[in-house]
Amino acid sequence: MAGPPVVDRRTTATRLAALSVAVVAGFCALAVAFWYFQVVENATYVRMAENNHLRKLSLRAPRGVLFDRSGTLLVENRDAFTISILREHSADLDQTIRRLSAAAGVDEQQVRETIRRHRGEPSYRPIVVIDDATLAQVSAVLARRLPFELPGVVVERVPTRRYPAVGLGAHVLGYVGEVGEAQMAADGLRSGSVVGQSGVERAYNKMLMGADGERRVMVNSVGQEITTLDEVPASEGRRVKLTIDYELQQAAEDAFRGLGYEGAAVFLDPRSGEVLALVSLPAYDPNDFATGIDRVTWSQLNTDRLRPLQNRAIQGRYSPGSTFKAVVAVAALEEGVITADFTVTCRGGASFYGRFFKCHLKGGHGTVDLRHAIEKSCNTYFYTIGNMVGVDRINKWAAALGLVGRTGIDLPNESESLVPSTAWKKARTGEKWYAGETISVAIGQGQVSVTPMALASLYAAVGSGGVHYQPHLLKATDDGGGWKDAVLPAPRGVRLKPETVAALHDGLWLVVNGAGTGGRARVSGRDVSGKTGTAQVISLQGAKQAAGRTEMDLRDHGWFAFFAPRDNPEIAGVVFAEHGEHGSNAAPIARHVIETYFAKRAGIRPLPVFTPPAVPAAPAAEPLAPLAGAAGR
Amino acid sequence: MFERRLYFHMDWLLLGAVYLLCAIGVAMIYSASGGSRLYLTQLAAIALGSVALLICLGLDYRSLADRSHLIYGFIVLLLVYVLIFGVVRGGGRRWISLPLFNLQPSEFMKIGLALVLAQLFGDSRRRTPSTRELAIGGGLTALPLLLIARQPDLGTAATLVPVLLAVAFVAGMRLKVAGILLALAVVAAPVVWTVGLQEYQKGRVLTFINPSRDPLGAGYQQIQARITVGAGGLWGKGFMQGTQGQQGFLPVAHNDFIFSVLAEEHGFAGVLAVLGLYAFVVLRTIETARLARDRLGTLLVIGALASFTFQVFYNVSMSAGLAPVKGLTLPLMSYGGSSVIATLAGIGLILNVRMRRFTN
Repeated sequence: MAGPPVVDRRTTATRLAALSVAVVAGFCALAVAFWYFQVVENATYVRMAENNHLRKLSLRAPRGVLFDRSGTLLVENRDAFTISILREHSADLDQTIRRLSAAAGVDEQQVRETIRRHRGEPSYRPIVVIDDATLAQVSAVLARRLPFELPGVVVERVPTRRYPAVGLGAHVLGYVGEVGEAQMAADGLRSGSVVGQSGVERAYNKMLMGADGERRVMVNSVGQEITTLDEVPASEGRRVKLTIDYELQQAAEDAFRGLGYEGAAVFLDPRSGEVLALVSLPAYDPNDFATGIDRVTWSQLNTDRLRPLQNRAIQGRYSPGSTFKAVVAVAALEEGVITADFTVTCRGGASFYGRFFKCHLKGGHGTVDLRHAIEKSCNTYFYTIGNMVGVDRINKWAAALGLVGRTGIDLPNESESLVPSTAWKKARTGEKWYAGETISVAIGQGQVSVTPMALASLYAAVGSGGVHYQPHLLKATDDGGGWKDAVLPAPRGVRLKPETVAALHDGLWLVVNGAGTGGRARVSGRDVSGKTGTAQVISLQGAKQAAGRTEMDLRDHGWFAFFAPRDNPEIAGVVFAEHGEHGSNAAPIARHVIETYFAKRAGIRPLPVFTPPAVPAAPAAEPLAPLAGAAGR
Repeated sequence: MFERRLYFHMDWLLLGAVYLLCAIGVAMIYSASGGSRLYLTQLAAIALGSVALLICLGLDYRSLADRSHLIYGFIVLLLVYVLIFGVVRGGGRRWISLPLFNLQPSEFMKIGLALVLAQLFGDSRRRTPSTRELAIGGGLTALPLLLIARQPDLGTAATLVPVLLAVAFVAGMRLKVAGILLALAVVAAPVVWTVGLQEYQKGRVLTFINPSRDPLGAGYQQIQARITVGAGGLWGKGFMQGTQGQQGFLPVAHNDFIFSVLAEEHGFAGVLAVLGLYAFVVLRTIETARLARDRLGTLLVIGALASFTFQVFYNVSMSAGLAPVKGLTLPLMSYGGSSVIATLAGIGLILNVRMRRFTN
């Protein structure tokens, strides 16, 4: 039969049935798919949906406020604004960057660079593109913050550090900065957290940081906040009281500036180890770091030849010069090698091991006992007794009085102070110690190199008879429930024999109050006792001369270490005047601080004002006499 | 025209299911549009659609089929008119501006094509459609398809293909021919890909295969649709409680993604209920086709059902991120006047055939 076959009703019914089966199968397949997504995989999608419409905003905790020992404010917080871009909600990032840069008046290229640096981070994390925005910038952005014009742009208020006394005590307080990668992992901190990078800010970072809060907000698809769901408020870091006395700190820095010296100074309470003032100059302005330091300032600070970022008081190591003679005297007396009445006749120097070592006074000091040897800083006397005691016993007593190693001050990156010994040299160079080397050590030259902090601790120990305390800066803390005093460190060191203490104190008193080199530190009625010293620059760093240093840089450093009053001292410390030429030039700085201390204690106001000494020249009695091998005053 | 006895043969169950779906749609539109007045427009469209339903119900489908060439021709003219004078919106020239809403002639083409194809294949005596008839059917489908594709609206254009296939299949087209057509389609696919598709259309397909290719553009919708559905869980978040649709994470939620909103707010339970209703409507309609008094009725019902079913499957798949994002509505539920009116008119035709199964 030609033509297509006839279709009977059965065929139609079969095909309709096939369609029905297909339809049922299709609906079943859809149902299974929805069951899988909605029931089996439900948790995954719930989380994704929440990420969609919930945004966690971190509420930065203000860092703890810092006070000086009597409650004067040292560091506080202010509100700063940051402007960030949330890429997740910024469909056209390019356009957002362009508009934001135009609105805030910032360099578009720099914004792009910032975004590029953080491009690896999840897109829901805001990227801060403007730190510490001005009010004009904030209002310019907020005025435009229509979701369509600047989608994904977020303005946040962040508490930011403020150091009201610009630069004062900068090296004590330190500075803050964004957390680094390593620290982030170690302490479980979030990216962008602000942490202490130096000084007390770093040493007590955990205490000061507090806990960030969090606000969960519901947002729509363009990132607009609709409602706040819940909020865990940020809890401020602990308030901290330092042992620093603001007025003494100011007095010390005033005196340095009055004389035009850079350098370092440490003032301690020998009865507790509390640091009353700590100076390191030149310094920096911690405010520059508070909102992230700009590259120019940072590289300036880093390349400055005067190294303003170095805390000279705990990181600078210098030879202590004649201030070290106190250690040699203690060793000789305590070991019974001499008594205080032991005399040496100085004829302008003496020979040891076939070599002549000069005293600084060409004509010699004549016959001197220990007290007068200290007063006049007679090198010949100390060459002699140093040679009798030997380097190892000098090292032993230096260590007992806290001059060796770190003092343990609660500041980061303290350097170790060094007083050599035969064992040290063996370990260090593999060579044996030559007795001739001890002669230089006896007047604080040679391998001896100490931090101002360690030397201050030593004089505190000497002042209070050998027993001393670890220097520290933490006075009290307050976590909201009132001030709690910090635990005082246990005493350490050894109790020296009364004869030792008496002889030493007499000698050091004579330095300031007799015919010695420390006259400029004299404060009437306060029995200041101390010792000047000179740290040579030329012999130690002759190599650097070739590196093109100017003449000025070759001048010696001046030390003045002291305690006052002579009996039961309340204040001890050290002043290191960089390129001060002589210790007597450092003494006026100590004098001003001592005077201020006692004026404060007696309640005398106004406090003394620093006046530079009338005669600026070094004392004629002790001309500078750089010698082959060693010299000291 | 409306005989009283026909009232007793009315398929009340189908009608009930259809209006239930419409009602659920209105509720979802209300929720998805955040309580705006869009639902009122939808209610108006349903009212107009009900008038269209009554008209399609009242006239005997045989007399409608006799005039199918006129209806078909009229809609083709409208499509041509749209291409020249139409309103441009969302990247396509698809609408004719009317006072209450914009008319989308392509939606009505589905019914026009069902009518003309049913007339074509039902006209012949009971035998397998000849190659010539298939060619004519193909031509009748291709003409509006190309016109709609030119708008461009590939989604709606594609819905015409199932109409031809379903009608020809039920009319008894030999499976061998169907196989050949399928093979041709496979061969044609690369050609269509290179010359037929525009860049953005290719992009959509590629993005479907790999949504992360464009997570903020086309892939975004697909990802968001899946999240919306998946976050619904077993029982859903509750009416008006969905966060995805409410806050604009899901674009055109009240329109193309209405089913995603339902899935989010009423969970798997709501999905099953609505899928059940759609399955009921489709199966009940297939039964209507079986019961039809004549071959014309059967084919007309199948023609009207084909685009409806295709769109349900496509839209539901898309709303779970299982199909590329296309501007295809979910019949009866999605917001859109033309879609609702045309769909209800089609339902009218189906009811018409069933109602008149005993008349002569």
